[in-house]
Amino acid sequence: MTSVPLSAYLVLALILFCIGLYGALTKRNTVIVLISIELMLNAVNINLVAFSKFGMTPAITGQVFSLFTMTIAAAEAAVGLAILMALYRNRKTVHIDEMNTMKH
Amino acid sequence: MDMKTVLSYEWGAMMPEFIILGTAILLSLFDLFAPKRFNRRPLAWFALIGIVLAFVSLISLLPLAETSILADTFRLDSFAKASKLLLLIGAGLVIVLAASHSANDGLGGYQGEFYYLFLTALLGAMMMTSSGDLITLVVGLELLSISSYILAGMKKKNLKSNEAALKYVVMGGISTAITLFGMSYLYGLTGSTNLGEMSETMARVSDSQVLYLLGLAFFMVLVGLSFKLATAPFHMWAPDVYEGAPTPVTAFLSVISKIAGFVILLRLLLSLFLAASGDTFGTVAFLEQNRVFIAVLAGATMIIGNVLALRQQNVKRLLAYSGIAHAGYLLVAVATLGGGYFLLDTVWFYFLAYLFMNIGAFAVFQWLADANSSEQRFIFVGLAKRSPAAAVAMTIFLLSLAGIPGTAGFIGKFHIFLGALLGSTPTDYILASILLATTILSYVYYFSLLVQIFFRPAATKEAVRFPVSLMIVLLVCVVGTMIFGLAPNIALDFLHQHFGDFTDFISMG
Repeated sequence: MTSVPLSAYLVLALILFCIGLYGALTKRNTVIVLISIELMLNAVNINLVAFSKFGMTPAITGQVFSLFTMTIAAAEAAVGLAILMALYRNRKTVHIDEMNTMKH
Repeated sequence: MDMKTVLSYEWGAMMPEFIILGTAILLSLFDLFAPKRFNRRPLAWFALIGIVLAFVSLISLLPLAETSILADTFRLDSFAKASKLLLLIGAGLVIVLAASHSANDGLGGYQGEFYYLFLTALLGAMMMTSSGDLITLVVGLELLSISSYILAGMKKKNLKSNEAALKYVVMGGISTAITLFGMSYLYGLTGSTNLGEMSETMARVSDSQVLYLLGLAFFMVLVGLSFKLATAPFHMWAPDVYEGAPTPVTAFLSVISKIAGFVILLRLLLSLFLAASGDTFGTVAFLEQNRVFIAVLAGATMIIGNVLALRQQNVKRLLAYSGIAHAGYLLVAVATLGGGYFLLDTVWFYFLAYLFMNIGAFAVFQWLADANSSEQRFIFVGLAKRSPAAAVAMTIFLLSLAGIPGTAGFIGKFHIFLGALLGSTPTDYILASILLATTILSYVYYFSLLVQIFFRPAATKEAVRFPVSLMIVLLVCVVGTMIFGLAPNIALDFLHQHFGDFTDFISMG
């Protein structure tokens, strides 16, 4: 039984979350933006599972919560990609900075 | 858990949700199997029947004492009942709007999908209002959000609609991730996802490190939900999404989604953070300590929403910014806690008023926009000559949105203002003065629409005829706006008689 402390998991999750947030806010390609959002949601999962195993009151609830988070993430990615495909048919681009027909 | 436990739950408490779910499933099956040439428009009336039935069953549940089923994940308390009343009234009015939306630019061949996605979104909002657990709260929120992403992109061939949906899905995804990240810390600090148990644990926290993390979690949840509420500085997506989405969807987003967003915010704030202490000695409450963040959001939202609305030529964008401003007014009530006593009454009444006046304004706008194939301000030109009844109705809605005495909007705003004045800190007074100043600023853009209606000469004198269904929506909205403006006690007495002071909600757990 290795003893990786809880804080290590939390730091990993925080770093993943920050990378995801950075990617979601700066990348041009919409597919990468959607992947970055997945990264943020997976950081949440790491947090939940780590807390559920090593937290102050270990319980299964955290793992149940992370299952729900995964389901939500999958549904969101499916809808996001479908919308992107509808847009690509009309616009022939996946670059998010070119989607600027509406302003101010 | 065996069959006996499952059957012993009081499933009746979930009746309105079951009715909406059943209607959505029936509609989706019908849409799947019905032949292509079959006109989907009558499905709107079927959806409306479902909503009315759910409303009736909710009314019959009103006398029921607080009930919680499914291991306390689903609670039917006074707050849930009160919010569901608002959601169902709003949804019923919006579905009639959708039924009279013109076919050419409207929902095209996707009408069937619109109705059942609308119902699933409504179902998500309703589940959220009565969730007693973080997991159901999140799942309800996402059911609402994901359905709304698709609704916004309903016009598949329309570039603006596609773009609106994409912006919405990206912003919504980021905000969900931020909210969930905050919630994962809340779970870690309390070791439970049940809101009641969490608040008990949080009330005992006095360690400064844990308090620091609690503050961080609060901040992340607040930021994530601010995206959903479209409060400044996280409002950027709202005007674009509102402009691109079909008009009934815009009405839905600006009323139902906004109510749902505030419901989740209030549930988290009041059931979790109200009990927590703000410093290591337990002398200052957590909300007392941190409500300045909400106050900053409220102030920025009121100013930015109203100032940016001034220069909008597109009426949908104007209504979007007006919606942002109204979210700001509501946040004032949240930040000042309604003077400490009246938070839920104030917010509930404001939403009742907002629902009637905003859906009414969207109803008039939708018909004129369909008739003129334009969304610019000039579609209102000469409305007073072309359709006096609609002109009077629109005037009432605009006056109510602006907060002129005699309308429901005034009473709602007045309560928020009084609540802010009851506070004792400088923040409250600053918020109250911003509220006053921005309200006066908002007269400029609301009244400029009135100028178009009454004083600009129309190119044609041809009468505009509104369909009967829209006329009924207008009538309901006018009556609602006027009655609750002239005799607000009807609504407030109803509230106190059926929900008391929301004590079973405040002291949950």
